[in-house]
Amino acid sequence: MFRNTLHCLLFALLCSLSNLASADVLVLAAASLTNALGDISKTYQAKTGEKVTISFASSSALAKQIENGLPADIFISADLKWMDYLGDKGKIDRASRSNLLGNSLVLIAPKDHGFTVTLDNGGNLPEAFTGKLCTGETETVPVGKYAKQALQTLGFWDALKARIVGTEDVRAALAFVERGECAAGIVYKTDALISPKVQVLGTFPESSHPPIVYPIARISQTEQAKAFLAYLIQAEAAKVFAQYGFTPVQP
Amino acid sequence: MLDIHITLVRGDFTLTAKLHSTALVTGLFGPSGVGKSSLLQGIAGLVKPRQGHIAIAGDTLFCSAQGINLPPHRRRIGFVFQDALLFPHLTVRNNLLYGYRQLSATERRLSLDAVVAILEIGALLDKSPQHLSGGEKQRVGLGRALLSSPRLLLLDEPLASLDERLKQQILPFLLRVRDELQIPMLYVSHALPEIRYLTEHIVGIQPGFIDSTIPFSSYADPSAPNPDR
Amino acid sequence: MLDLSEQEIAALLLSLKIAAWSSVLSCPPAIIIGWVLARFQFAGKALLDGLIHLPLVLPPIVPGYLLLLLLGNNGLLGRWLNQHFGISVAFSWRGAVLASMVMAFPLMVRAVRLSVTAIDPRLENAARTLGANPLLVFFSITLPLAAPGILAGLVLGFSRSLGEFGATITFVGNIEGETRTLPLAIYTATQMPGGDDQAARLVVLSMLLALAALAGSELLSRKLHPKTAN
Repeated sequence: MFRNTLHCLLFALLCSLSNLASADVLVLAAASLTNALGDISKTYQAKTGEKVTISFASSSALAKQIENGLPADIFISADLKWMDYLGDKGKIDRASRSNLLGNSLVLIAPKDHGFTVTLDNGGNLPEAFTGKLCTGETETVPVGKYAKQALQTLGFWDALKARIVGTEDVRAALAFVERGECAAGIVYKTDALISPKVQVLGTFPESSHPPIVYPIARISQTEQAKAFLAYLIQAEAAKVFAQYGFTPVQP
Repeated sequence: MLDIHITLVRGDFTLTAKLHSTALVTGLFGPSGVGKSSLLQGIAGLVKPRQGHIAIAGDTLFCSAQGINLPPHRRRIGFVFQDALLFPHLTVRNNLLYGYRQLSATERRLSLDAVVAILEIGALLDKSPQHLSGGEKQRVGLGRALLSSPRLLLLDEPLASLDERLKQQILPFLLRVRDELQIPMLYVSHALPEIRYLTEHIVGIQPGFIDSTIPFSSYADPSAPNPDR
Repeated sequence: MLDLSEQEIAALLLSLKIAAWSSVLSCPPAIIIGWVLARFQFAGKALLDGLIHLPLVLPPIVPGYLLLLLLGNNGLLGRWLNQHFGISVAFSWRGAVLASMVMAFPLMVRAVRLSVTAIDPRLENAARTLGANPLLVFFSITLPLAAPGILAGLVLGFSRSLGEFGATITFVGNIEGETRTLPLAIYTATQMPGGDDQAARLVVLSMLLALAALAGSELLSRKLHPKTAN
């Protein structure tokens, strides 16, 4: 009698544990996807009953976590490099990899503290404002790397590099500009759009930096992971991404 | 010489003191805990009396009616403590000269050499207070107070922590201070023989109450055997 | 022994510079406040005591965030300072010094207060009867006797500054060469794929520094108080 109860308890425990493991899809996604992906996952959950957990951070930090064995299911990076990095380490299912989204790079300032500037080779960005410029860490965080590329191409890098504050992800840079701590910032267009406290002063020409591409890939082999990834690349999800300002990309 | 009439309150304890004396050495006698130390601290300015006045040789140091209250460092009243209270981080020499150095040339009535000679502490000058015996510490403490050229010397049970042998050693030095330096002293103790060694002008203390107009002999001496008890 | 890169040496030197400035600038106010807390009773003393000790019990991010709100470029006070005097501490090593000062201050005040309390107040009274005014008593009696405790507090504050992370990163960010102290450098290395070697080197460096600080503190206390050393 007692033995039966014990067996039942153990079985129930195992069931619940395995349920936990299979019910959650763990997605590691670039910080700039916070709002859009958050909405999409809620819709998905309401529709299918599958729970999706998302961890947002800079792509570099996430890549590090996956490299260290974090049991994620899906990884969405803000640039190709970090996906390539994990691919080289054999951490991703290469067959599942595709390019999900595009974005553009903008210059922002706190609302009501804008200034005029032209973002091209003859432009005057360094002289157009005083104070600091916030963007992601220029060596590791994708938005920072794009920013550095753009500034270098346009000839602003040398004059500005001492004034750059590198943050750990794009949203931190956005927050600093929102708070007025930084006089200017370089973030993705999609980040500028969700914040009422900043204004866009201009978009960096596409030719000034490598194309901003968000690759997606599966890390695990679970059915739930496959299902959610499939959902992310079709029309319903694409519409939400577009609403937030992301651009579609040829897969 | 001493013109003191004050009321001191410390916590629950109230002391009323009427002390008038023209003697060079005035003794204050009573058992421990009756307020002798509080009185001395009041005279030195370390605690503020509730009311009254304190005048030494005609100079008013405190008067509640007139709002006078000289801070301790301006009263020129020397204090010899029961525990000597030498500054542990200074040599004997620098302890002795501490008060001396605060005086202008004209204010200095005693020299280091003179005091060292009277108290026979020459050999100790470069030592640190930690290395002195009890008797040596008391002599240095006395010397330190003397070298600040005080107008009045307060001695708060200066020999209480010494054994009999040491007491007998130091009392003659006190006599020399009295006779050779002629500095007025107010000597507080619960040991009558000590006081008698230095003066016959003794004021007795009852708990919370000192009145120099009451002749001393009418106080019972708590240390003497009393046939009536 | 430790093959340090230029960046790592920069982080080390920056840590030492910030900790040194923080300790030196904190000393005078810590001494004064520690002395006041030790010697005086007054209305609001408990409040002052509590305020000073807050950084000890709050998560470091809180003081860091408050500093940002107050002294950031757009902060309550910071904006005024920036506009009128051109003074800006956000995102600079000077802001990192401020963050360290705030976090280490309670430790220094405690050490001072403890050592002043241990001084027999009758010694100060004796000095006063010998003609020393209150200022002289403080400098010739109180301070020298409290010195060993004050120095111990200084070393403690210095060590705390070396390890400061939460308030620093919140207030002045993690800018290489400017605010990236050793702890922040370690954090950055652990966030970077391929940064484990660097993290390991920096961790060893931090431990060596901590040991050196402890040894220094022990030596100092033995020298100043040979009787009380263990």
